[in-house]
Amino acid sequence: MSRVNELMNCDEYREMISADPAFDGGAGHLSACSECQAFRSEIQSLNLKIAKAMQINVPEPTLPELPDIETENVVPITAHKTFPKRAWFAMAATMLLAALVGVLVFDTGVHYDSLAEEVLAHLDHEPASLRVSGTPVSNARLAKVVPSDVASPDHSAGLITYARSCEINGKKVPHLVIQGEQGPVTILLMPDEAVTEAVSLDGENIHGVILPVGAGSVAIIGAREEKLERIENSVLNSVNWST
Amino acid sequence: MNSSSAESARRRRFDQIVAVFHADMYRYAAWLCRDKAIAEDVVQEALLRAWKSLDALRDDAAAKHWLLTIVRRENARYFERRRLETVDIDNLTASQAALLAEAPNEELEELRESIYELDDDYREPLVLQVLMGYSTTEIGELMGLKQGAVLTRLHRARLKLKEKVADDERA
Repeated sequence: MSRVNELMNCDEYREMISADPAFDGGAGHLSACSECQAFRSEIQSLNLKIAKAMQINVPEPTLPELPDIETENVVPITAHKTFPKRAWFAMAATMLLAALVGVLVFDTGVHYDSLAEEVLAHLDHEPASLRVSGTPVSNARLAKVVPSDVASPDHSAGLITYARSCEINGKKVPHLVIQGEQGPVTILLMPDEAVTEAVSLDGENIHGVILPVGAGSVAIIGAREEKLERIENSVLNSVNWST
Repeated sequence: MNSSSAESARRRRFDQIVAVFHADMYRYAAWLCRDKAIAEDVVQEALLRAWKSLDALRDDAAAKHWLLTIVRRENARYFERRRLETVDIDNLTASQAALLAEAPNEELEELRESIYELDDDYREPLVLQVLMGYSTTEIGELMGLKQGAVLTRLHRARLKLKEKVADDERA
């Protein structure tokens, strides 16, 4: 949702934020209205609880008896979507940017000034994570990388094709990559890295955000054309650490 | 590609899609019909229909939306066939009660009951947004509603739940 109306009143703002807790418009009103700030926090907290309440155990899939299908005239369709060239360029530029940050940091021996810098630098550590893939990681792998008290990720926001335990600020954090509409989207689940407010990550060819979640945060970074809102919702809903 | 290998490729493709999206199909069905046993029936029917029309799915990136649309239709067909009565939360069958039974704590159990009691018109868009990660535009496409109507339903659904949570806390 992209509605940005600085002249919203309280009723309008509350209607929008309760319809979509990821609504990011009405910043002008929000900054001046502490009651709506409190209302937003309340709705976002409620939304996390709703997401948890909706999680139900799923039985093992059992297939019905599948009838034979006449396949002689069927044209096989590639199962994996192709990755547009411009997205490849975007990712290449992303990695170059991340590499530059990484080189600056390591060559000078300087510690990262911010979590955002460290997150960007981390992208360069694992270029393999940015491959386009149609192969999901196994549930066993996901369970190993993402402890149940950190999050319960599933493939609802897109195929999770990469899962690895990585180090941010000296602590192990799950690093996931899902396949978005425009290519790979990096997700770092950081239960111990608090941020006071959302931090935008904005490059020439990438964009992303570090979102506060309780005492921690979540970083989500994709190609510039990628719409991250849906992924943000899904990732936030999967988070299990205390809020 | 000969007939045998085409059949194998088709089956592999179907199995991969089912492996990824079965949980979403089941959860969506369960929250639509509010009954675990019926949800399993609905998903079985949906899988059968998906198998028969798999070749109509031109892009696997659209598989989730395609499958959820089938689940929605199968759920509607199921209830058309049986003309089931509205569920009364004080008089649940074992299969209906099973949906409410697994909440990890009392607070979530009460919230789950409140979601269960929401009208279908409010519960479904909420499930699509929160559980399936759908945008309001996508919810409108799936449910045949304008975005404004989706926003109104989501707003009202959350307010109802918020009031219910506040009532429970006061009690």
